[in-house]
Order: sequence, then C-alpha cells, then structure tokens
Amino acid sequence: MVLTSEQVPQTDAQTLKSKHKKQRQRNRPRNKRNRQEDSQPTTQETSVNVAASAMPGNAVDAVATEKTRDQIMAEREAKKLAKQAKKHKTAPTPTAATPAVLTTPAAPATKIITEVEQTTITTKLTTTTTTKVQDAVASKTTQPAAVNGKDVEAGEKTREQIKAEREAKKAAKKAGKGGGAKVEGITQQLADLKVAEKAPVAASAAPSTTEADQEKKKPALSKAERRAIQEAQRAAKAQVQTKKAQPAAKTPPSAAPKEPKLRSVSPTKAATSSSPGKCPANTPNVDCRVKLFNHLVCAKEDSQFINDPLVHPSIARLGVQYAKRTVVGSNARCIAFLHALRQVVHDFETPAKKEFGRSLDAAVKHHVDHLHKCRPLAVSVSNAYKQFKNQLTQLPADVPETELKELLVHFIDTYMENQIGKAAQAISGFLQEKITDGDVLLTFACSSLIQFICEEAKRRQVAFRVIVVDSRPGCEGQELLRRLHATGIPCTYVLINAVGYVMAEATKVLLGAHALLANGYVMARTGTAQVALVANAHNVPVLVCCETHKFSERFQTDAIVYNELSDPNQLVRGDKCQLSNWAAKGKLLPLNLSYDITPPELVSAVVTEVAILPCTSVPVILRIKPDIGY
Amino acid sequence: MKEQPLKEITQLIHAIKVGLVEGSYNITNKTLDIFKYIIMSKSWQNADALMQIVRDQCKILQAALPQETVTSNIARRILKLTREEFDLLHAKVQHFADDSQASLSLHKLVTQTSESNVSVDYSVPQHGLREALLDHLQEVETELETSSENICVQAEEHIHSSEIILTLGHSRSVENFLKRAIKKRQFLTIIVAECAPACRGHNLAASLASEKNVEIVVIPDAAIFAMMSRVNKVIIGTHSVLANGGLRAACGAYTVALAAKHYSVPVIVLAPMYKLSPLHLCEQDAFNMVGCAEDVIPYDSIPAREAKVYSPMFDYVPPELVTLFISNTGGHAPSYVYRLLTELYHPEDLEI
Repeated sequence: MVLTSEQVPQTDAQTLKSKHKKQRQRNRPRNKRNRQEDSQPTTQETSVNVAASAMPGNAVDAVATEKTRDQIMAEREAKKLAKQAKKHKTAPTPTAATPAVLTTPAAPATKIITEVEQTTITTKLTTTTTTKVQDAVASKTTQPAAVNGKDVEAGEKTREQIKAEREAKKAAKKAGKGGGAKVEGITQQLADLKVAEKAPVAASAAPSTTEADQEKKKPALSKAERRAIQEAQRAAKAQVQTKKAQPAAKTPPSAAPKEPKLRSVSPTKAATSSSPGKCPANTPNVDCRVKLFNHLVCAKEDSQFINDPLVHPSIARLGVQYAKRTVVGSNARCIAFLHALRQVVHDFETPAKKEFGRSLDAAVKHHVDHLHKCRPLAVSVSNAYKQFKNQLTQLPADVPETELKELLVHFIDTYMENQIGKAAQAISGFLQEKITDGDVLLTFACSSLIQFICEEAKRRQVAFRVIVVDSRPGCEGQELLRRLHATGIPCTYVLINAVGYVMAEATKVLLGAHALLANGYVMARTGTAQVALVANAHNVPVLVCCETHKFSERFQTDAIVYNELSDPNQLVRGDKCQLSNWAAKGKLLPLNLSYDITPPELVSAVVTEVAILPCTSVPVILRIKPDIGY
Repeated sequence: MKEQPLKEITQLIHAIKVGLVEGSYNITNKTLDIFKYIIMSKSWQNADALMQIVRDQCKILQAALPQETVTSNIARRILKLTREEFDLLHAKVQHFADDSQASLSLHKLVTQTSESNVSVDYSVPQHGLREALLDHLQEVETELETSSENICVQAEEHIHSSEIILTLGHSRSVENFLKRAIKKRQFLTIIVAECAPACRGHNLAASLASEKNVEIVVIPDAAIFAMMSRVNKVIIGTHSVLANGGLRAACGAYTVALAAKHYSVPVIVLAPMYKLSPLHLCEQDAFNMVGCAEDVIPYDSIPAREAKVYSPMFDYVPPELVTLFISNTGGHAPSYVYRLLTELYHPEDLEI
C-alpha cells in the first residue's frame, strides 16, 4: 500500500529510458505529485543526479554528470587511508585490494572497451572483498555494496551506494582515530565502492561480456573467499583488541540481512567477536520462533540471492529492496516489479536454438523465484506475473524478436497504467461522492490509494479531516500523516490502542488492502481488522479500497495459516528496553506479523474500480474479469 | 469553610504525582495508613466528627487525583466501618439484640425501608469506638495484604495446561496470577500485547520469561485481532471496576475485549475488592485522561506541529464484554458487581 515517494520515482528514473518518458508522465500521475511534494530538485536527465539529490548536501551541486562531490571526496579519503594503511603495516595488503585501489582514480565515465576486462575482474574480486571487509567491520554499512558491485546497471548510482559511502567514510574516520588495524579494511571498502561504481560502465559497454564473466566467476570466488576467511578472522581479532565494537552495535536490524552473505566465512564468529549482545538476534535459530508460526519462513536467509549470476541486476536490486523493506506497499511493489521486468525483457537475449517466448518464460520464472526468496511475493506482484506469463504464451510466432519485445514492453506499460493508475482514479471517483463537508475519515497505516483519494477530495475543496491510526513497530501512518499534512488536510494521529477513543468522532473508515481473498476476507497490514472491528462496534461504515489487480484466488480464514513474519527486532525499543537481547533469554519471543485478515462481516463495502461491492462479490469479479488473478 | 489537607495527605498526593508511589495496591496501602493515623489521632470526639474528617480529606484526594479511585474507595470503606462499629456499640449499650448485625442481607434490604428508617445520631460520643475501629482496620489491612495472594490461589481453577493466554500491558495482579499458573500448569503460551506507547507489556514479558516451561510471545497491539483466533483466555488487569460491571482499564483493553467477543474467548478480569468503585460512568469521556504524546509521535517531527495527537490513558470496557471478575473473595459475574458494592460500602457514602 505504501507508495514510498522517494523510492518509486527513483526506480522510475533508474529503469526508464528517455523514450519512455512520455508514457511515464501519462500513466504515473501519483509519482509526479509525490515528487513535487518532496520538493526535491529531481532532475531526471541522468540517474546520477537523481541519486545525488537524495543526499541533502549534494542536491545542488550536481555539476558533473558522472562524478559527484562525494564520489571525489570518497576517493580522496580512500587514497589517504591507503597511505595510512601502508604506513602502519598492521596487516599485509591482500592482492585483491591493490588493483581495486589502483583503479579508483580512473574516471568512471571512461567507456573504453579495453578497460572493460579489467573492471570486470576487479568487480569479481570486489564482491568477495567487500563482503569480507564488511563483515570484518561487523557489517557496519547498511547498504549492500557487494550487491551494487554486481547488479548496478547502466551508469547509475543508487541511493544505497551513496549511503554506503557515507557510512564507510564515517567508519573510516573512526578507524583512523582508533588505530591502524581497521584502516586497511576501510580502504578496501572505499576502493571497492569506487569499483562498484565503475562496474556499470563496463556493464553498459558490454552487457554480454559481463554475463559471460559472471559465469566464469565461480572458481575465482572460491579462491578469494578462502582468503576472505583469513582476512575476516584476522580483522575480527584486531577489532576485539582495539575494542571498536560500537559501530557494529549501532545498526542491528539492518545488519541482520547482511550477514548470511558470507557463506563460508563463519558469520557468527566474526559477529560475536564484534557485538556479542546483538549476534544471537541476528541469527535466529528454530528455537527462537513462536511455535504457532513454525510453518512460516522467516525471510532472512538471503545468502543465495546475492551471487546468483543468472539474476538480472535490476531484479537483484529489487530483491534487496524487497528484503530490506525499502519498497513496501503492494502497489509500489507491483510497479517496481514491472519496471524491473521490463528491463529484463529489454535486456533478454534468446539463447541459440531456443524459442524466444519459452526461454524468456524460463528466465522470468527464475527471476520471480529469486524475488520470492527475498520476500514472499505480494498478491499484486504474483497477479502481474501471471498476466505477463499469460501474455508470453499468446505471443505470435512469426514476428521478429525486437517486435515481440516491444509488444511485451507495451503490455507491461498498459498493465501499469490501467490496473494501477486508472484504477486509482476510478476508485477515487467513486469515493468522492461519499466524502462530503464535515466528514471525518479514519484510516489505518499508510495507503497510497487513500492518500490519493484524500488529496482529490481536498482539491474539490471539501471540508473534511482525517484521523490517522497507526501502530508500532512500523509506524507507517507517520508517512501518511506527513503527506496529508503537506496538502493541508487537518489530521489527528493516534496509536491503534486508542482507536476506541477517536472512533466516536469518525464518520467513515477508509482502509487500504494488501489483497482481497476469494472468500471475501481482506488481507491487509496488521491492525486493519482491529480498526474495522472497533468501527463496527461504533456503527461506523468501513470502506475498503482495493484495485481489482489485488484480488486473489486464495482462500484464507485466519491470519496464521499464511502470513509473513517481519523482523522481530523491530519490536525492541532501544537498548534500555526489556526486550533487548531477547534471544538470549530463550523463552521470550517477539512476534511481528505483517498482515491480518479482516472477516467480511466487518466490512461494509469494497470500493474497486469496477463498482462499490460487498466483500462477498470478490469471486464474481474474479469470474467476470478472468484476466485478473488467474 | 474549605477544609485544609493534612500534611500526610499532601505528601501522598505529591508522591503519587511524581511517581514515587505507583500501582493501585501501593496507593491503597498508603491511603489506608493515613486514615489509620486519623483514627488514632485525638482530633475527633464522636463518629460524626470522624466521618466528616474522612470525607473532607477524601474530597481533597479526589480533587487532586481524580483518576485514582482507590483512594475514595478506601475512604468509603472507613466510613462504612465507622457506621458499623458505631451501630454495634450503640446496640450493645442499648442491649438491643440486632439479629442481622448490620450485615446487609437481602432480607434486611427489603424490610429495612419500612421499620429501621430511623436515622442514627452519630454525633453521640461512643466509648470504645476508637479501639473497635482500629481492631477492624487491622482486618482490612490484612485483607489488603492477602488480596493478591488470594487471587493467585484461584489460578489453578481457571487455567489448564497447554493453554494460550493473552494479556495486555503490565498489571501486577496478572503478573502474580500468571506466575502461579506457570508453576502449576505445563506448556502454557502467554501472549503479551505490548500496550504502546509506554510498552509496559515488555516488562511483564521479561518478568514472566524468567519462569520455566512457558512460551512468552510479545506482539504489537495491532496483532491482537490476528492472534485472538488462537487464544483460549484473555486475562487482564484493570484500573477500576465501575458500578455497572464495566471496566476502566488501560488503553487498548477495549479492543482486546471486542476481539475476544468476536472470537468468543472468555475475558477474565483480575480485580481485588479495593478496585470496586460505585461510579456510574458509561462512556470514556467521563473519566479519560490524555497522557504525554511525545512517545506517540516525536514533537520535532514536521506533521506533529499541526496534527492533533492523542495518547489516552484509559479505555472503557462495557460489562457485556467481560466474562468474569476474579477478586480476592472469589469469582463474580459482571452483573453481580452492584451487589458486591452494596455489601462493601454504605449506600449513603456512595456520594462522598
């Protein structure tokens, strides 16, 4: 539901080529608005600029298109630290780091083919060294530098990279103060980041060669990995001696998905030495799980998706974004997926003696499986995938590949436009009749659709106000509150246990949904059912807004059989919280469910782009619109 | 003339306001100590004067701490006690054998209206009243001390093994009750809703986790409905029990009770007798308070400048959502609360 305003435009900018620009403006009205709201000077000419604008300091000085300020600074930093490292000579410089450092000064924009080979090699090494170094620094950086090294495509610098750089710099400073032991590691890290940025050049110049290289990568990896083990252990020891455990303790939840990246480098060891308190929480074993939910996989084991050579970079990045919950909300996830899918289609090359449709189908299936491993697919995403697959089977046989690709890309674009963009407008149109002067709308968490509706009503100059109900630990309602506040709608904000306190004021309850199940149950963010329940007790009508592309053929009667478990560490509030270090206590299990199920008797009506319907009409819609959820 | 508060009363008010004295039990205990001190003091000569002092001080307490109903509850107990002791002594003096002995049986309630409508003159000095009162007060003190234990004893009667119990926030009665249950029964699963924004549920969870053979699951408040389908029993504490059997409980209790009703899960409320208040408040606006909103949304965030943010402290839970009260004297249905109240307090003291 959450259409994170920063994320979606960015993915937009990343994946879209300029020829799609017109189309985008047409079918993505909401994103445009978001952008204005954020009032960030997002020039979309180059994606580098877009990424740079995410950094507050560098928003203005996007002078050079390729080299931003912090890039240069980071390079300088790297060089300086490299010198220091040589001076101290605390640890022998591994061969892996040297070429990486050497290549740093080279301008990232040089598109010389001869360099391609070199850069790909360094990338190879980078992926290993970065993981190693990061673990040695006990996964200080929040962003997957290693992933970037591989999956960054066509000359762009993602936000993550910038963040990672910043983190690395910070770490570097600390290390510089603390002692020489860590300096070298940081240098590598910085250098790696540089290389990671260079990689896209290589990729854009010769995408086919990189793929081929990735195939060859395996033996090189294993060798480098072995070295990585030694390095990591040594670094970990040095760290314990210098007692620099603080940076590790700083970001426990984000560190969690990072760790499994190292398959061979016993991650627990490296982590325990650096942060004994947080470690068990990062690697939950079966005992630390609620018995009722043993059947649900805690989506944490993301080791396998980092180094999969068959996964397209855009999908790999999307996977990380899913896993890290930077792209959340079923609409946003669906849009991001479709953009990535379009990129996959665009870059796809039919293997020799294979049919285009079939081989693409197989490739896409692999990609979707990969995404599923990162985080269980949203209903909207799996519906979109089904539609795409359906389209693949209906491709004409005697048409050249480029035309087929265009057909598919067109299909993806129209799907996005119709199922998400226009549907939102239609739903908003239905609801505008229901919102009148003096209305008090109550909503839960953050839904892009609800936001759209409220803004539309504001534009019509209806005098209404909104009560935003929110819940720990996500606090997504704050995001909605921020957006509504920006449009000048008077708001009230409460936590979910106070919903009874404010329900008496409300005249209507508007809820977003993750999916509508075939038995009429509404699957939505945890807490939705509770709001509907209290609304029902106060006889306030409950309207669920849901596009038909989120309709699912699944049947479910409770929130336990199928659900998603989010990171339980989110429940812990700071270090002083009684829950901190819960895994060590054994019997104490925080549980963070993602969704709950609202029974149809608590919902007055579902607003879809087709009509305003009772919940029980979902199977009817599924039948008359067989291309949905099928 | 407006009565001046005693020094002890002001001290108590201060201590409660700054959080030195917390929890209904402690507050009740302290209040009782003060009233005991008043009784022991020589400032009163007859029952009427004593009752006036108690009433005045109670009014001051009520005005200063409107949310702490236990203070007036204990004052009502003292008043009732004074009346009883006075009646008893009075009867003895007059050698009047009163068979019902001031205990309000149903029979007496019916017959009383016609014959014993004579108002007793409490201003007559009564010898030995002070001693009798102190004696009786000792009983009240013991009752108070053992109330928690008496509630705990009933744990076995209500909890079987491998049960899934949901509770909300952190109530001391619930904590002791569940600890007893954990000792006696095996394979319990206890789900604790954290009760944001204070998240006192975390404390309860941490405290219970020190026991063996139990699984403690901490959930955010939003997941109450989702988990309720698997819960066998809801056991919650309360701030006070109202005259109609409704609850004035921690914020979130209403949702818990509604969800329990939806899934037909019994809701058991642990309420020692001193929490019974003869108040008829049938909606939360009559008593609710809003707390500090900083925990709900940080003050320095941009939307917080204009948005209205509430952090209410209490929820009103209507009696139809409560299945059972467990007090130190046993279990009671919500519909029986009015009867307990008439036994506990004198009808004339309901309005202090």
